[in-house]
Amino acid sequence: MHRLKILAGLLALALLLTAGAAFAVDTGSANFTKYVALGDSLTAGFSSGSIVVTYQANSYPALIYREATGKTTGFEQPTVSVPGLPGVLRLVSLVPGPVITPTPGQGQPTNLNLQRPYDNMAIPGARLHDLLTKTQSTSASDPTDLVLRHLGFTQLQQGLSFPPTFVSLWIGNNDALAAATSGIVIDGVTLTTAEQFDAEFRIVAGAIASTGAKMAIANIPNVTSIPFVTTISRFVTLPNGQVVTLNGPNGPLQAGDFVLLTAGPDIAQGRGISPANPLADSEVLSAAEAAAIQDRVNHYNATITAVANERGAALVDTNAALRNLSTAGVHVGGVTYTSAFLTGGVFGYDGVHPTAFGYGYVANLFIDAINAKFGGDIPPVDLRPFVFGTQSTTVTASSTGKAAGQLTDFIFTNEARRNLLLSLGVPKWIVDNEPAPGTKPHHPRGRGKG
Amino acid sequence: MQRRGSVMGRALVFVALVALAAAPIHAAGFSIFEQGSKAMGMAGAFTAQADDPSLLFHNAGGLAFVTERQFSVGDTWIHGLKADFKGAAPFPGPNNSAEQKKLSAFPPHAYWVQPINTTWKFGFGIETPFGLTTEWENPDQFAGRFLSTKAVLQVIDLNPTLGWQVTPNFGIGVGAIARFSKVELNRNVPFNNPFTLSVIDIGRLHLESDYKNGYGWNAGILHKVNNSFSWGLSYRSKIKVEYEGDARVNRILTGNAQLDALLATRVPFDKNLPVKTEIEFPDEASLGLAFALSPNLLLETDFNWTGWSTFDEVPITFTGGTGNSLPNTKIPQHWDDANNYRVGLRWTTGPTSQWRFGYVYDETPQPEEAINPLLPDANRNGVTIGYGHTGNIGFDVALMYLVFDERSRHKTFTDDDEGDFFGTYNTHALLFGVTLNF
Repeated sequence: MHRLKILAGLLALALLLTAGAAFAVDTGSANFTKYVALGDSLTAGFSSGSIVVTYQANSYPALIYREATGKTTGFEQPTVSVPGLPGVLRLVSLVPGPVITPTPGQGQPTNLNLQRPYDNMAIPGARLHDLLTKTQSTSASDPTDLVLRHLGFTQLQQGLSFPPTFVSLWIGNNDALAAATSGIVIDGVTLTTAEQFDAEFRIVAGAIASTGAKMAIANIPNVTSIPFVTTISRFVTLPNGQVVTLNGPNGPLQAGDFVLLTAGPDIAQGRGISPANPLADSEVLSAAEAAAIQDRVNHYNATITAVANERGAALVDTNAALRNLSTAGVHVGGVTYTSAFLTGGVFGYDGVHPTAFGYGYVANLFIDAINAKFGGDIPPVDLRPFVFGTQSTTVTASSTGKAAGQLTDFIFTNEARRNLLLSLGVPKWIVDNEPAPGTKPHHPRGRGKG
Repeated sequence: MQRRGSVMGRALVFVALVALAAAPIHAAGFSIFEQGSKAMGMAGAFTAQADDPSLLFHNAGGLAFVTERQFSVGDTWIHGLKADFKGAAPFPGPNNSAEQKKLSAFPPHAYWVQPINTTWKFGFGIETPFGLTTEWENPDQFAGRFLSTKAVLQVIDLNPTLGWQVTPNFGIGVGAIARFSKVELNRNVPFNNPFTLSVIDIGRLHLESDYKNGYGWNAGILHKVNNSFSWGLSYRSKIKVEYEGDARVNRILTGNAQLDALLATRVPFDKNLPVKTEIEFPDEASLGLAFALSPNLLLETDFNWTGWSTFDEVPITFTGGTGNSLPNTKIPQHWDDANNYRVGLRWTTGPTSQWRFGYVYDETPQPEEAINPLLPDANRNGVTIGYGHTGNIGFDVALMYLVFDERSRHKTFTDDDEGDFFGTYNTHALLFGVTLNF
C-alpha cells in the first residue's frame, strides 16, 4: 500500500514535469499558440532598403515567436532569397565619402506556396489605411502582392483569419514617415490626418479584439530619431576650408531645418552651396515641416496609448526607446549603440530601418512590455550574435588606404536612392519629380500610395 | 579557570548576537583579511586575542601587552580553483561562457613589535590589506572584453604603531598608515564596423598607474577581562588614493585599409594618454569576543564591518587634451557597507603547539548591478585549519577553502554607461598562509 502511494506520487510528479516541459516558457496570461504580426516594413524585417531572408529570419516578430514559444520553426513569413527585393544596400567604399549601392541582382520569393496566410503579415510601405483596404500591389516596386498573394483579402483580414491568440501591431510609421522622407508635408497625402488615424486605428484594434486575441501595440518614433533625417548637417565645409550654410528652397537653412540623407549625392555635386542652386524641397525637411510632423506623431501616439489602454494591450514605447538611442545611446557589454548613420550599429544603410542588432533590441522592447502587461517571464533575445555578427571584417571594399571623408558626405547611387524612397512609402511622383497625379501639384486630393 | 564567563561577558555575547541578527546582510569586495597565518587559521577571528605580531593588523590594542621584541614575516598564497562565468540574455546570452585564469597571488605581511618600557610599546607593520587580480582566459574572444580583460590592484601599507598598556589587562594602540597602491586595467576597444554593421575590436586599451599613496590611521582596544574572557575592538580608517598614469590603445588593424584610415582620424592609437583615477578604500571595524572553554580550548567570535559605500564609482579621466585623450568614463559601483562574521577555535595541544579551526561568512558589498568581469564578487563561506609551533623560530601555517556563492546579474544601474553584461559567476579559492616568527 505504502509503495503504491510512492509509485503514484512519482507518476504524478513525472506527469507534472512532462507538462512543465511542454510549456517551458512562462508567457503569463498571454497565449502564443497562434501569434500574428501586423505592420509595415519594420515588422516585416525590412533592412538596408530591402526585404531579404537574412534579415526576415530575425525580424522582431520572428524573435518574439522563438522566445515566447521556445520553438525555432512554425512562424511563417513571406521570405525572399538573397540578395533581396530590391538588392540589399551595401557599403562598398568609404572613399571619397561612403558609397552605398544595391547589391546586384534580385531575390526571389521562397514561401509563396504556403497553404495559409503568413504569421508575419506585415507589408513594407503599409500605412494604417492599407491594413483595412489594400489587397494588391499598386506599382512594380510595391511588395503587397508578395504578402497578400492576390487572395483578395487585406492584411488585417488574412491575419485575423486564423484566428490568432496573440497579435502584435506596429502601424502608423509610414503615415508620418513619408512626409519626412519626402521632405514634403501634405495633409491627407504624405501625412495621414489625425481624424482618419484615430478612426482607423480604433477599427483595427477593435477587429483584433473581436477575435479574443491579446495584443502588444507599439507607438510611432519621432522622425527626428532616425539618421535619415539627422545625419547631414546644414553646414558644409568647402575644399578651401570655408564653412558655409546650405541653401534650401526658402534660402539659407535655419536652425531646426534638416537635410535629408538622400540629398547627399546632390551636395557632393555642389548643389545647395549657392542660393542660386538650392537643394530641392524634397531634400530638406524644414523646421516648420518637422514640427508639423512631430505634432501629428504626438497625436498618433496619444491615440495609440488610449487604444492600448482601452483594449488591455501591452504598449511598446518605441518612441521613447529610439529617442533615448539618439540622445544617450544604448550600452551593451561595453559597446555603445547610437542612432549615428553607419557607425551607430542600430540603423542600416537606408537610415530608417534597424540592423539585425536593432531588430533584436526592438524585440526585447516588445518582450519587456508583454511580460510587464501579462505577467509572463518570456526570456529576452540573446543579442550576442547580432552584436558580433557573422561576417568577416575583411569585406568587399577596395583596399586604398586613403583617409575617408566625413561619414556624412556619403553617396547613394541613383538606383539605391530611388529604391529606398519607394520602399519608404514616398509617392512615386515625388521620387521621380513628376507632378502629382490628377490634380494641382500642391493641393492634391486622394491618397498617395502607402 | 573553568568559569563559564562573567556576567559582563554574557552581556557582551548577547549584544554581539543581537548585532549579528540585526546587521544588514552584506564585506568581501577586494579586501584581503589574511594578514597573519595564526589569525588565518581561526578564519581571522583574532581581534580579542591579538597575541602575535600580526596584532598590528588585527588589533593594535594587543601591542600594549607585548613583552619582548618579535619579528614576523609571512605570505598568503591565494590560489584560484575556479572562477567561471555563464552568460544570460540579452547579453552575452545563455550560449556564452568564459573562465578566468587561475589566480595565483602572494600578498605578503611583515611585522616588528618591541616594548619601549613596561607601559609603552612600539610596532611596525607591512601589510597588504587590499588587492585584486581578475584575468580572463582567451581575452580576445571573451564576450566581456570591452569591459575588462585583466584588472590588477596592488596595495602595500606601512603601519607604525604605538601601544599603551593602561592597566595590566587593558591596552590601547594607535597607528598611522601610509598606503602605496597602483592599479592596472585592460580592455578591448569596440567599433561598429560600417561595412558589416557588427562590432569589431580596434584596439587593446591598457591603463596603468604609477604607485601613488594615501594616508590614514588605525586604533585598537584589547581588554583581557579575566582568564576566561577577553574582548577587542579595532578600527582602520578609510584612505583615498588618487592615481595618475598612462593609458594606451594598442591598435588592432581591421584588415580594411579604408576603415583603418578612418579610425586613425578618430582614435589616438599607440601613444601614451595621461589618465587619472581614484579609489577611496573603506574603513573597517572589528569587534571580537574570546572565551576560554577550557585551559586548552579558546573560542572567539568576531563581527567585522567594512564601510564599502566609499566605493561608489571608478572615474577614468583623461587629462591629455585634444588628440591625447579618450572620452572620460566612470565605472559605477555603488557598493554598500558590509559585514562579515568569523568564528575561530584554538586548541593548545602542547607547550609549543596549537591547532586552529575557523569559519567565516563574508557578505558581499557589491550590488547585483555592479557585478561585472572587472570584479565579480559574492557572499563567501570560508573554512580554515591552521597549526602553529612556537620556539626560537616559530611558525604558523593555515589553509582556507573559500567558496563564493553563485552570483547572478540581471540588472543594470541607470547611470551605467557600459551596459548590460548578464550572467552567473562561480568562484572557489584555496588560500595557504605561512608565517615565521623570531
